Amino acid sequence: MSEETAALKAVGLGLRYRRRRGHVLRDCSFRLPAGRVCALVGPNGAGKSTLLSLAAGLIRPTEGTVHVLGTGPAEARERFAYVAQDKPLPPQLTVAGTLRLGADLNRARWDAAAAGRIAYAHHAPDGDRSGSLDPGARIRSLSGGQRTRVALALAFGKRPELMLLDEPMADLDPLARRELLGALMGEAAEHGTTIVLSSHIVTELDGACDHLLLMGGGRVRLAGDPEELVAAHTLLTGPARDLTGHTVVESRGTDRQLTALVRPGGPPGDDWRTAAPSLEEVLLAHLRNPGAPDLVTEGTVNP
Amino acid sequence: MIPSSLVPRGPGRSVLRLHRAALWTWLSLVAATSAALLWAYGPGHESALADALRQCPDGIALCDRTSGPWIGRYDTVSALGTIGVAHLSFLVAGWAGAALVGRELENGTAHLAWTQSVSPARWLAAELAVPALFVSAGTTVLVLLHRLMRDGGRDLAWASWYEYDVFRADGPVAVAYALCGLALGALAGLVVGRALPALGVALAAQLAVVVLGNEYRPKLWPVVSVTGTGSVDVPSGAAHLHQGVITAGGARRATSVPCDFADGPNGANGVRCGAEDGASGVWATYHPESHFRPLQLVETGAVLAVAALAVAAAFLLLRRRTAAASPPAAAGRAPGSVPADGSATGASV
Repeated sequence: MSEETAALKAVGLGLRYRRRRGHVLRDCSFRLPAGRVCALVGPNGAGKSTLLSLAAGLIRPTEGTVHVLGTGPAEARERFAYVAQDKPLPPQLTVAGTLRLGADLNRARWDAAAAGRIAYAHHAPDGDRSGSLDPGARIRSLSGGQRTRVALALAFGKRPELMLLDEPMADLDPLARRELLGALMGEAAEHGTTIVLSSHIVTELDGACDHLLLMGGGRVRLAGDPEELVAAHTLLTGPARDLTGHTVVESRGTDRQLTALVRPGGPPGDDWRTAAPSLEEVLLAHLRNPGAPDLVTEGTVNP
Repeated sequence: MIPSSLVPRGPGRSVLRLHRAALWTWLSLVAATSAALLWAYGPGHESALADALRQCPDGIALCDRTSGPWIGRYDTVSALGTIGVAHLSFLVAGWAGAALVGRELENGTAHLAWTQSVSPARWLAAELAVPALFVSAGTTVLVLLHRLMRDGGRDLAWASWYEYDVFRADGPVAVAYALCGLALGALAGLVVGRALPALGVALAAQLAVVVLGNEYRPKLWPVVSVTGTGSVDVPSGAAHLHQGVITAGGARRATSVPCDFADGPNGANGVRCGAEDGASGVWATYHPESHFRPLQLVETGAVLAVAALAVAAAFLLLRRRTAAASPPAAAGRAPGSVPADGSATGASV
């Protein structure tokens, strides 16, 4: 596909803790082109947070490599932002103090206005500013959603080329989610920022993203453009019979009637009724069937 | 207030921002201890001396026992001052382990710093350098005031220079122990990663260093050794270490028979050991008061070396755990890094 630098690229990436048996993350290979808004979805414990921590350079992989903005996470540190799942912030600081901390720690590229917009500007339809944060409020007095807002303000203030956001929506109410998605889309459109958002609600980010990584059991199960991923699958319904020639993701049914999600290997026979699956159906079918082969659509791995 | 030109920038300022409460606590503690030491140096000493002179009009040097309300207060405050300065390093160690590093790792604010534009190594450097500055400055002030108090109060002093707490409070070793506490605390915080267990580990490590220091202090500088036929004299104010008999063959032996200590000439301690078969003389070893300075300097060096090792270990540990700046291709040799289609093997982007 393109020759441009990948915003995020993993090659055989794996992590295992010595004490625990088995991998938390295993043989992950994918490539996320720059400028995409990528949904990193999967159930709890799928390895999403681990993958993002590895990309942020907080932990070291035991196998393989991760490239961030064309280099290692440590070298790219100034150019990406990372918001951890539990939104750690110093509880004793005020909101304004936390943003000044961001300025201290990002002296080269801090954008106080961008940070302030996320923290203080609350765009309620009727001009109500009750959701915006008080600069003098201590972090420990904030609600989960308000802390998320401060954590995101730090990320925006850094003016990053890549944003790694671990479950940014989890604590937000529907209005704030919409507001955040709007801010992220604006950032991506205006500055070409690559955005990776993780979520355990597989359909939460449907429509907002032009790239998708589905993780399950420490592996990347699906990777690519969501439309391409959906288009690669067909829902077949018909009399129970041989599915040879197709890659079967999931099949259910009785002795006589069968419903199967397949990646067609050729035109299905006349006795099959075909239907286009939804994205959710494709994702859930893969999560229910760990044995189904992974699919990385063209161009996501090859540079 | 601190002049603005001295306010550190970047990660240094973030350390001040995050640990402002600890900074004020430290400054208050130094101020309170300084006040106590200054009181003992000035008005406390004056009142206690007046108390003593009332009981011993001929001079307090000749008095065996003096007591009085001000002498009691003076003794308490000066003793507490000594204990306080001698044990500051434990406070520093516990704080560094629990609050400076342990809590920041536990609640994730360390990771927050590492994903800003500050590498973990620079973060740790700032976490160590800024407190080290305040710890050194505060401890130096207290040591100087402690010396002032002891020099001014020699006529009433009962504690000798070689006593554990006095020695650790009266010279540069106090600063070395405090810095060592900071380093060991930071290392404990990094190893354990949680505030409360790190507090315990840091205090235990610092206790080990202090106990070893007390134990091996006499060996840090060559002792003075005296021999005599009947008895030997150990000068006044010296730290008396060992004594024994010299056998007929000339060998020194720690004697099994008890030795007597008697007042010798010029306030020296005479050592006289019981007669033993074939003993031809008596020996004794001690550190004269003039060894105070070399002992302080050697111990300072040794403790700072421990601190340096702890700092090096902390940086090494941090580097091993996080992704350090290194060519990412270096890890490509790991097994399993080659994808099935081989297309991305060693590919540069």
